[in-house]
Amino acid sequence: MDILNALMQGFATAVSPVNLVWALVGCALGTAVGVLPGIGPAVAVAMLLPITAKVEVTASMIFFAGIYYGAMYGGSTTSILLNTPGETATMVTAMEGNRMAKSGRAGAALATAAIGSFVAGTIATVIVTLFAPYVAEFAVKLGPPEYFLLMVLAFTTVSAVLGQSTLRGMTALLLGLAIGLIGLDQISGQARYTYGIPELLDGIEIVLVAVGLFAVAEVLYAAMYEGRVQETQNRLTRVHMTGRDWKRSIPAWLRGTAIGAPFGCIPAGGTEIPTFLSYAAEKKLAKGEDLAEFGHKGAIEGVAGPEAANNATVTTALIPLLTLGIPTSNTTAILLGAFQNYGINPGPQLFTTSAALVWALIASLYIGNVMLLVLNLPMVGLWVKLLKIPKPQLYAGILIFATVGAYGMRQSAFDLVLLYGVGLLGVLMRRYDFPTAPVVVGMILGPLAEAQMRNAVSIGEGSFLVFVQRPMSLVMIVVILSVLVAPRILRATFRREHAADSG
Amino acid sequence: MTQAPDPRWLQTLVGLAVLLLALTLGAGAVSIPSGAGYGGVGPNFLPWVVAAGLAVSGIMIVREARTGGFRNMEQPSGAPRANWIAFAWVSAGLLANAALITTIGFILSCAVCYLLAVQGLRGAAGQPAMRPRTLAVDLATGVAIAAPVFWTFTQFLAINLPGITGTGWL
Repeated sequence: MDILNALMQGFATAVSPVNLVWALVGCALGTAVGVLPGIGPAVAVAMLLPITAKVEVTASMIFFAGIYYGAMYGGSTTSILLNTPGETATMVTAMEGNRMAKSGRAGAALATAAIGSFVAGTIATVIVTLFAPYVAEFAVKLGPPEYFLLMVLAFTTVSAVLGQSTLRGMTALLLGLAIGLIGLDQISGQARYTYGIPELLDGIEIVLVAVGLFAVAEVLYAAMYEGRVQETQNRLTRVHMTGRDWKRSIPAWLRGTAIGAPFGCIPAGGTEIPTFLSYAAEKKLAKGEDLAEFGHKGAIEGVAGPEAANNATVTTALIPLLTLGIPTSNTTAILLGAFQNYGINPGPQLFTTSAALVWALIASLYIGNVMLLVLNLPMVGLWVKLLKIPKPQLYAGILIFATVGAYGMRQSAFDLVLLYGVGLLGVLMRRYDFPTAPVVVGMILGPLAEAQMRNAVSIGEGSFLVFVQRPMSLVMIVVILSVLVAPRILRATFRREHAADSG
Repeated sequence: MTQAPDPRWLQTLVGLAVLLLALTLGAGAVSIPSGAGYGGVGPNFLPWVVAAGLAVSGIMIVREARTGGFRNMEQPSGAPRANWIAFAWVSAGLLANAALITTIGFILSCAVCYLLAVQGLRGAAGQPAMRPRTLAVDLATGVAIAAPVFWTFTQFLAINLPGITGTGWL
């Protein structure tokens, strides 16, 4: 019962008043960030990275995890109530959720989303609790070649599988890798691309790139292109589910969790595929009246399933992050950056060297889920008020927070100019449909992958054949190739079915 | 309605920019020593890989742009043409912030940034902007957002943000 003991220790740390306050503030902030358009969990955590200089590591990781989590709850509120699709994670929720809201069932949609998130989040946290230590034990056995390939797997899925175009995804990834090259080489200490500028020896701050790409670019984009976009808001009805709603939601939550959880565990990030899969499954299983509601009045299963899948994926994504040190999304990449700021490298050793931290973090996930359920069910009306903030003021205000993040890290006014530059880059990327997640993941994971690759090749005495000579790494090469192919088939099948249904 | 500029032209430029970046990286990689020690590859290996990858991507992007435009391109949201006036206001706000933050302190500098940016955003949304009344309201709002942020970060989180005075309150 090692795990149970460790978890209890974690709870003991997590329920200290200070940590509870950090968790609550994180959850509340995360919900707000999720509700507000124009700002997501990745950028919120990035803006707050400067606190890592002063705040104790357990407290700040609990805080960041709360933001990460809370944003998922908040995001569904916006996608149900506003008629503009939000981020990809909640796009599927928006399809049925919006229809339900239009036919006067916004309250039921919000309830099933929040309770579904809670159920899936809690089950997925149990999965993290039970499996993460084993994955860590297993991961200790992996050598540099396997690690390098795992990172390649993460690169592949983030850049080639998740976006619209493999070419643009790869370009974005290479851009991120290029940014990651700036500074001192980890192995030889050689300065690269510093052009004699001392500030560049430390490399480019993650905060700068993340805040520039996500926050500043978002504000510039809104000013340039979206000033006239009119949004309509659905009326909020009483948050309540009937007996029939419960009967239809519960199996959908469980199925959504079952679909979502495995997707988070493999370093193949992204909530797009599991949410779409869950939606497709719910639609396929629905019968009679329930099926007729899909695409018309809005079917509650179509909200409950994908929302549960989303939260399950997001939660289990912590397994590769904590045990392998491999982030599979923007936000987990920035969480990895937060660990690095403390000089902690997530990986298999984390469970032994920083056991107290890891278990406190996991315990805080259980607590956070309960907090979020309370924050999002009875208090949903409060968050909806945030949607009333006029856009110009909201976006201009975001710039103030962006300044805190970018300036607070290094106290350099030059960083603010760089921030603006990255913002311009972000606008271009958005306009030409280049994904931004690969940039952040490439930048953070790039230097780690390079070190693993060079160690691997030196194990192979200078030969790249080392990657195919070891059975584990050979298996991983096969996995990478199949990850490249499988989602394409899945997506094509889904599209075909979807087209057949609506046609 | 004015016609949006030919996307293919601009897409070609994007591809050329990627190529240019590849060349810059390649040029920089020349001066990185290759000493690999016991490892098979040295510090200049990944730079070359990235430069080569970007060069290939750049060429393929240009090719896509010249042969019918980007593939699987999602239509960018919002208006077809940029609102350059709004862009100028927001840019002015951000750059003013960079220029002023060390001299007039975080609160005032951010308030100026907010004030300038919100004029552009208001203009873009078709709201009245640049009137004495809205200017006063916007400046006050900017201070009202920046001041608590400043206090929270300097007082509770001990993050260094510049003030006019060294007290951490202004």
